[in-house]
Amino acid sequence: MRGGPGIAVPKEAQETALLRAEKLTKRFGKLTAVDRVDYVLREGEVAGIVGPNGAGKTTFFNLLTGYHLPDEGSILYQGEEITRATPQKRVALGLMRTFQLTSTFDGLTVLDNLVLSYFRANRKATIPSLLRNTCRAFYNDHDIGTLLQMFELDHLRHRMVRHLSLGEKRRLEIAMAIVADPKVLLLDEPFAGLSEMEIRSVVGILREQARRRTIVVIEHKVSHLEGLVDRLTVMHEGRIIADGEFEECLRDPEVRRSYWRVSEVT
Amino acid sequence: MSNTCDPAMRDLEANVPSLKRTLAERMLGTLKWWVGILVPFGVLGLAGWILPLPFVMEVLIFSIYTMACNFLLGRLGFISFGQPAYLAAGAYGTAFYLYYFGTDPYMGIVAGVLAGFVVSALAGAVFVRLRSDYFALVNLALTVIVFYMLQKVLAPITHGDNGLWFLDRMRNTPVLDITNPRQLALLIWLVAVALWAFYKYIDGTIFGACCLATKTNEDKVKFLGYNDFAIRWTGFVLANTTAALAGSLYGIYFGFVSPEMASAARAADPVVVTILGGTGTLYGPLVGALAYVGMKDLVSRLVGNWEFFVGLLLVTVMLAGEKGIWGTLQPIAQRWVGRWVSESRE
Repeated sequence: MRGGPGIAVPKEAQETALLRAEKLTKRFGKLTAVDRVDYVLREGEVAGIVGPNGAGKTTFFNLLTGYHLPDEGSILYQGEEITRATPQKRVALGLMRTFQLTSTFDGLTVLDNLVLSYFRANRKATIPSLLRNTCRAFYNDHDIGTLLQMFELDHLRHRMVRHLSLGEKRRLEIAMAIVADPKVLLLDEPFAGLSEMEIRSVVGILREQARRRTIVVIEHKVSHLEGLVDRLTVMHEGRIIADGEFEECLRDPEVRRSYWRVSEVT
Repeated sequence: MSNTCDPAMRDLEANVPSLKRTLAERMLGTLKWWVGILVPFGVLGLAGWILPLPFVMEVLIFSIYTMACNFLLGRLGFISFGQPAYLAAGAYGTAFYLYYFGTDPYMGIVAGVLAGFVVSALAGAVFVRLRSDYFALVNLALTVIVFYMLQKVLAPITHGDNGLWFLDRMRNTPVLDITNPRQLALLIWLVAVALWAFYKYIDGTIFGACCLATKTNEDKVKFLGYNDFAIRWTGFVLANTTAALAGSLYGIYFGFVSPEMASAARAADPVVVTILGGTGTLYGPLVGALAYVGMKDLVSRLVGNWEFFVGLLLVTVMLAGEKGIWGTLQPIAQRWVGRWVSESRE
């Protein structure tokens, strides 16, 4: 399947689409960061988005999650229009993201970071409810404990996040996203800053998570996605230049011409 | 999250240690929680028999005033030079009630708190959208406006610079008669302890964690699905209603209010005391207020320009590591009494 402007989305994809972007465009001054992108995410799949720096991957993510609002185009989630919905609304619908630069709460402990994410997903996040409930009440929660062990953060549970290494923060951020039990997990370069061993461990967790939820991973290095994703999308200069099976995408002449010339596959 | 269907997950789940706290542990936790509050305030309360009562009252009221600023700065990351506006809102709310409407000082305090709530709720709806320096300046602007309103625009009812005197209008109350200085001191002590316990409780709640989270990473709060504006607004209103309560107690204590209370010249005071005590620490406001009022009272007896020495102390404290007096003393205190006191986010 080929994406990008003017390329029709197959009928079967339309029927099972969980998230669909149509003609999505974002401009920053004269620069068109995302250019009339059509994208379909099917329920239960693990989708990878690759592309060189400046290809528009993160901006595309930002549009899907409400960080930026598009200049043109629309986003549909489970058939519902969410193009201009607030990030909070999108999270409530089940879209949870991580950031390219790790985004955690440095002034809180590892446990409190997880509790905040868990609480919003499992309790009412109204102000009276936030005032009534203590963080401590969730410290022994089963799901949080499981996630701490899964991401090998258990021994750091009371450590302030500002004292963690980049790899630990990265793992914590992914754990924070998973503990909220989202329908769609959107990970922006989740392997950046991780050691090879940590990458293998996180890939293992994501494979396991793929049985429970739909996952989209943005990655700079194609090799990290091999064996993880069901489908690959290649972006270049704000457009989707290829979209389909992993191997098929990498063989695509336009990908070889536009992407590999810029960044060698590692 | 339903993880039990997978054998690997079940193994992991089985290994999660069960840390259910026993009743005895809970009771010990509660005891530690209260020890941490009652000991410092108890010492100060007892000091009321040795030290001059007005000094103790002023320290307690100033510590309440500083708790508000400490929460704004230490928990929400808002530096506010507009605290006198909220202090004056509380003081004038009380004064208006006692001067024009009634004689019950407790109702006066309620009126002051309500006035502070209304002013901070309205101002907060606009101000918390701003960040850092803009927030500080817009609050300073509010202080200038409130001062001008109290001094000039509302002069027919505020009596301008002459202020409002209502000391002899307050009637005696059956329980805790606050027209009696010693009983007023007890009330102020009770209010300070209650507020301190309240802020300590807030610290441990999800709301408290959310406040700290917005301070360090506002975007992430949004992308976890929280309403970051509502969190900031609630924190702002809580803090500034506390400042208004301090203003109301000042009004009751002096039996007099004047626009001088909202003077922009005093706008930096609570910020200075917060930093002096140790920003974001629970004991900071008390320690800072003690140091500040103490220096003001002691040094001003010896030399005229006591502010110079407060400035000097502030510079020294900042150069010593920006932790404030309590921030510096905390590790030592924790070593001595740490096990008797419950942990907090300091």
